[in-house]
Amino acid sequence: MSGGANLVIPVVLWGRTAPTHCVSCVYLSRDQRTLITGCYDGQICLWQVEPTTFKMIPRCMLVGHTAPILCLSKASVVLDNNYVVSSSETGEMCTWDLVDGKCRELVKLPYVHTSVQAYHMVGSDDARLFCNGYYAEILVMDPFSLEIVFTLSSRVNPDWISALHVLRPNKRKTTVCFAVVSDDVVLGLTTTGTVKMWTLSGNEPKATDPIYENESKQIRCLNALAMSCCSQNQRTVLIVTSKYWQIYDAGDFSVLCSVMSARGERWLSGHFLCPDRVLVWSDDGKGYMYKLPANSIADNKDFHTASVEDDSPFLYYILEVTSRKPVCCPPAMRFVESSSVGPLLIRADSEGSVLIWNVPEVDNQVLNEMRTSSNKMAKNLEPFMSTSLVEAWSAMKPPPVGILDQLKSEVKLTASIYLPQQGRLVVGREDGSIVIVPATQTVMLQLLHGSHQQYNDWPPHQILEGHAGRVNCLLYPHHVHRRYDKVHLVSGGVDFAVCLWDLYAGTLLHRFCVHAGEITQLLVPPNTCSVSTTLLISCRDTNVLKIRVLLSLCDNKKYLIEIFRI
Amino acid sequence: MYLIIFLFFQQNEFEWLLHKEVHAVLNQLNSILVECVRRFPMPFSSNEGPYKQEKFVLSGAPDQLKCVVSLSGDCISHADISFKVQRQQVVNYRTTVQNDNPWRLHQVQDAANHLHQALFHIDNIDEDYNFQSSEEVLHILGNILGCLQRGRTSLIVPRKRTIDDLMKSRNMKCLVPNIAEDLALSFYIQSHKLVFAIYQVSSVQGSMKFDALQAEASIPWLNEVLVLFTVALQLCQQLKDKVRNTIFPNISLI
Repeated sequence: MSGGANLVIPVVLWGRTAPTHCVSCVYLSRDQRTLITGCYDGQICLWQVEPTTFKMIPRCMLVGHTAPILCLSKASVVLDNNYVVSSSETGEMCTWDLVDGKCRELVKLPYVHTSVQAYHMVGSDDARLFCNGYYAEILVMDPFSLEIVFTLSSRVNPDWISALHVLRPNKRKTTVCFAVVSDDVVLGLTTTGTVKMWTLSGNEPKATDPIYENESKQIRCLNALAMSCCSQNQRTVLIVTSKYWQIYDAGDFSVLCSVMSARGERWLSGHFLCPDRVLVWSDDGKGYMYKLPANSIADNKDFHTASVEDDSPFLYYILEVTSRKPVCCPPAMRFVESSSVGPLLIRADSEGSVLIWNVPEVDNQVLNEMRTSSNKMAKNLEPFMSTSLVEAWSAMKPPPVGILDQLKSEVKLTASIYLPQQGRLVVGREDGSIVIVPATQTVMLQLLHGSHQQYNDWPPHQILEGHAGRVNCLLYPHHVHRRYDKVHLVSGGVDFAVCLWDLYAGTLLHRFCVHAGEITQLLVPPNTCSVSTTLLISCRDTNVLKIRVLLSLCDNKKYLIEIFRI
Repeated sequence: MYLIIFLFFQQNEFEWLLHKEVHAVLNQLNSILVECVRRFPMPFSSNEGPYKQEKFVLSGAPDQLKCVVSLSGDCISHADISFKVQRQQVVNYRTTVQNDNPWRLHQVQDAANHLHQALFHIDNIDEDYNFQSSEEVLHILGNILGCLQRGRTSLIVPRKRTIDDLMKSRNMKCLVPNIAEDLALSFYIQSHKLVFAIYQVSSVQGSMKFDALQAEASIPWLNEVLVLFTVALQLCQQLKDKVRNTIFPNISLI
């Protein structure tokens, strides 16, 4: 909405049903009061968490990204610093204030990250973001300015880094990865299976020459998804790929043990619980807890010996959830090492629901009993907390008033535009109809509680019918430039048609149906453009984007002239 | 009665689409992508012999710029470059890229990697897997489409870089001998062409002047790669449209 003097206040109106929220990644803030879920549509939901019971309610929806959120990370090592960094599939990065939901900084990089880890380096005052993704380097960024501080490159077989882990070697044991080091160490693994190690002293020069790896070794591990080093002994490394997880000796990167995924499941990631135990989770949304064999435990006398038949990784616990609707994509999961109730495994899925397991701590005696018992069955554990956007919506009394509740139909809204001069809100719907409602009253119903909510006479609305399917986009050209007629409203739909409407009369002036694909976007060309009464129309013809120019809205010569393929 | 038969038919057709057609199309897609991978002249596992080397003569303004390159996979393993630059008088430059320090074309590697990611997504679906809902299929197709689009784009749209970035780039250090400081050289891919460009920044009476010279060669295998990318994209998009526009889009099959 825009008021006087260029002040624009965005307003989001909710309906009776919860918004879809297909979660792509999840993060629990360090103070454990906010859970952050990013979704495939680019929104980020903040959930207010009760830190002892982990009961949570959705508090805020952060809108800004235009593509799936691929990673979320803390911005600072300071415990009560309430900032978080998000990164999307188009290379957008944002730093958000969790308290008021404001975006403090944003950049769009030519690099797309698939993973971002915050780490407090030697010699820097706060956390740095270690990013890897669809490029052959590791970028180290400042979380608040979102500038690239320096770059880690490869001399040998440069390729995309698929997993990385940053650590500070313990003074006691400095055997990590071939070399004796005392600074921070970055371990990276390329998609084609080259392990690399960079050593950082903390006074890296700013953004000039790249820093090259100190060591590099080829191992037999393609397309790794995650890599983490055991934090206590720093001698063993867990590497997870979709088909198996493996424990490696960090000294020479030889495989110590390996576990295949269950049939129909693929591993996603994993973490050390302690030197002899790991938690690994799969795309089926289950967590598996394993006790490692003696040859994979650094302090054991049998460390690094050949694996033996009767001592293989022992599955002792499965964190799962029964009787739930199947999800349509792998859930996002995250392990939290410590909380008020112990270690946690968080899962958030395509249905907008959040589940939390308390990762059980089983002592060795119980474990040995389980192992020697006849059935050797792993125990199952259900999550102790479960909630969802749908639950939160149904708990709301009274429910939110939708924009078009008066129409009493369940048709989804697919496009909307606000016309400040007319005070109207124009809404395109899935069934092809376009509805015009008075904006102020609609917002009032939503935001203000009072007697007006009890009235039966809803603000009057107008319906435009011309499309034969979902309305994808709406444009009011006069809004962008005065050269356009102020009665004209343009809409584009899934039915390959562009409709030109008379806004005041509510009539269809013309329907253009010469495209060979659905209309995805309508744009006004810049002022300086030679054909100044045109419109740009972007449509998708079997995935090749085309821009067509619709000539002349004013002089009633309505035809298409040029077609660009991009 | 007719309505019930009609609905029943629709329901069956939808099941057929999810349980048979999706797998069939994914198989087809898989073979197109495997074919596409083969066009890249680089080994994708270490036991597949060395890179194939091809020689190209880049053509531009004939009397100003000469460039002969050997392309092996995602690297220019050798290049012979000579060109003329207008200064106070015309100055001739000659430089080379040597075998031991090749010029890397990250666009080729990126395209190949995105392609592998798409194959990886298809590979993750078990052959006898029964899809539970159309949303699930749409999600997987969305992932594959994303990979293919990014792969195709990485070849068609070179990353925009400032002249400063170019001058400081790691690839510039491949040149033997080094060239003058006010020049930036760049090799990049644009669609099926390998382009070589020279940029000169000079200051004329206080204002910046910018000159560019360019030469290019058509790379046959890049053309084939792009065609296969496009065919795969179309196939994937068609299936996506089919699944999305089926009459019962939200039905869940158990």
